[in-house]
Amino acid sequence: MATADLSPLERKYARLGIVLIGPTVLVFCAVIVYPLISAIYLSLFSIYTPTLEGEWVGLSNYAELLAKGEFWSSLWTNIIWTVGTLTLQILFGVGMALILHQNMIFRSLARSLILFPYFVSTVVAVLVWRWLFNDLYGILNHFVMWTGASDMPVDWLGSMPNALLSVILVGAWKYFPFVVIATLARLQTIPDSLYEAAKIDGAGPIARFFDVTLPQLRDVLVVIIMLRAIWDFKEFDLIYLLTGGGPVTSTQTIPLLVYKEAFALNQMGMASAYAVVMMALMLVFMILYIRRTQENEL
Amino acid sequence: MTDVILDQVEKRFGSFTAVHCLDLHIKSGEFVALLGPSGCGKTTTLRMLAGLEFPTSGDIRIGERTVNDVPPGKRDIAMVFQSYALYPHMTVEQNIAYPLKKRGVPLAERGAMVSKVAELLQLDELKDRKPKQLSGGQQQRVALGRALVRDPKVFLLDEPLSNLDAKLRAYMRAELIELHARLGRTMVYVTHDQLEAMTMADRIAIMNEGRLQQLGTPDEVYNCPANRFVAGFIGQPSMNIADGTLDETARFRAGSFEIGLDPERFDTRPGPVALGLRPEAISIGAGPIAARVRVVEPTGHENIIILETDGLGALTARTAVQVRPTVGETVQCGIDADALHLFDGADGRRRNRDDSMVTQTPVGERAKVKESQ
Ligand SMILES: Nc1ncnc2c1ncn2[C@@H]1O[C@H](COP(=O)(O)OP(=O)(O)OP(=O)(O)O)[C@@H](O)[C@H]1O
Ligand SMILES: [Mg+2]
Repeated sequence: MATADLSPLERKYARLGIVLIGPTVLVFCAVIVYPLISAIYLSLFSIYTPTLEGEWVGLSNYAELLAKGEFWSSLWTNIIWTVGTLTLQILFGVGMALILHQNMIFRSLARSLILFPYFVSTVVAVLVWRWLFNDLYGILNHFVMWTGASDMPVDWLGSMPNALLSVILVGAWKYFPFVVIATLARLQTIPDSLYEAAKIDGAGPIARFFDVTLPQLRDVLVVIIMLRAIWDFKEFDLIYLLTGGGPVTSTQTIPLLVYKEAFALNQMGMASAYAVVMMALMLVFMILYIRRTQENEL
Repeated sequence: MTDVILDQVEKRFGSFTAVHCLDLHIKSGEFVALLGPSGCGKTTTLRMLAGLEFPTSGDIRIGERTVNDVPPGKRDIAMVFQSYALYPHMTVEQNIAYPLKKRGVPLAERGAMVSKVAELLQLDELKDRKPKQLSGGQQQRVALGRALVRDPKVFLLDEPLSNLDAKLRAYMRAELIELHARLGRTMVYVTHDQLEAMTMADRIAIMNEGRLQQLGTPDEVYNCPANRFVAGFIGQPSMNIADGTLDETARFRAGSFEIGLDPERFDTRPGPVALGLRPEAISIGAGPIAARVRVVEPTGHENIIILETDGLGALTARTAVQVRPTVGETVQCGIDADALHLFDGADGRRRNRDDSMVTQTPVGERAKVKESQ
């Protein structure tokens, strides 16, 4: 709308609006837009991290990256990690939400306790898990030995495929509460009369789950899966702290690779190129997500 | 034979009793309306019949079977919910077919059965729509369709018309009456709208505060209300009820108003009583009672006139359109002595001796008349 069409009052409101969103826009530019642009910019240079000096190399970082086996193997690990941990999060999360939706004693206590893994700091959580996994003192190995499942302590984090499995499990444990909260919120809005109608129509508990609950959860699950897929894909601290990408590079995902290039190999330009490629990959998820939310608004 | 019988049924929620010791015998093929003010336990009663709520004590029988422990899906009933409760992700066709699917009806037969119901309810063209894309009246018909498709023995309907506008409600009322006549199935219909109950039901069960007040045909509950509550609840505008006393000579007194009651027709033991008079039993023009006109409400085909009298207090009269006194005027009015209702002052029980009338219409007679139409 042209400004000329606005009444003085409307113009005043418009000015107020700009004043109010101004700070947010500034902060947004400073912390999101600037780093984004500078990452793309840096990825076109070969930069030595400690001095941050280097020369223009154009797209050759990208060419090198795509030719490197390490990129592809990290991407593959990244996909296994994301799919694996996300699947477990959804299964645990939805299952737990269904349980917590029942009328049971200590329901509200259980509902708050279940959030614990999500709220505990990653560093603390990882420290605890490393103790649990410890091959000499860890309780997991204690159980393995005690039940006689194995006469040797299992090397949970130092060998494959155990390390990747452990990382996936800890990731699922840490993030499934998010799925629980979101699912539970949706479950509570499903009208009881739908279940009652289904009962009268002759549907048993399993049919009621598939014909009433699941269709009603579909939309929220799509959103959960997209959000968590994006978040899990770029997960850094949990994996880095738990295995550091090892043994060797077998649990190294792209975020860990970015870190390694930037601060261990001192190749800031290369690291930026990895980061930009990762961003492009996640853009696909984001476009799907935005499409999805817009569809729902229609 | 699918009589529906509630035998001494009681329902408590914690310390609150929603339904008190309810005895109700609904005959096979009958259309019974459960009528009463909000919170009187109608829905609770219906839900107990459906098996969605379990009685605290007492027995529920459908047909020959005691169904206390039978789950809703096995009771051979269908229910239409006030909110319709259509499955939002299924099309109209899938919604209607769902009960068949869950009962293992083969796909081939399902299609034909759904088509038949869709045709009956004029839903043919809406078959592929989702519930969200339907109007209230259409959703209501889909909900009915889902109930009809299985041909259950008993239909339970919980205020199915309350979400519709007045015109559509009148239309659906007629449809339901026709449907009942055509199917001849037992129907239990919950409503708080007396017009619905009076126009549709063979018999009306009037409830208040969890207790059954009267079970009778629309004529019976209107002409011979079993107690003061029913008298006041049925009829629009409601019955005029004046408190007073009966003396030894069977004369009713309320302030300066006096009238002799015939001991043949009334139980005239002396004591506190209440006298009931329908608005149409009051005539304006000539008569012994002087009254001041307070309000005149012309409705088009009749006038509702609110009068102020000495002994009987405020009286509502219903008159022909020609009778139209001016507000503030004092008029003489008469009362139709044959149309008096007498209620006990203590427990509100009806004290007319016309109780032969209550059993005059054999139970279920109207249902048969409808069926034969
Ligand atoms: N699950 C429940 N827990 C506790 N009290 C309940 C429950 N369901 C119903 N009640 C109470 O039982 C009484 C009867 O409720 P019911 O739903 O049968 O009323 P109703 O006659 O259908 O009223 P309305 O016309 O408003 O639908 C109400 O006082 C209600 O508060
Ligand atoms: Mg109700």
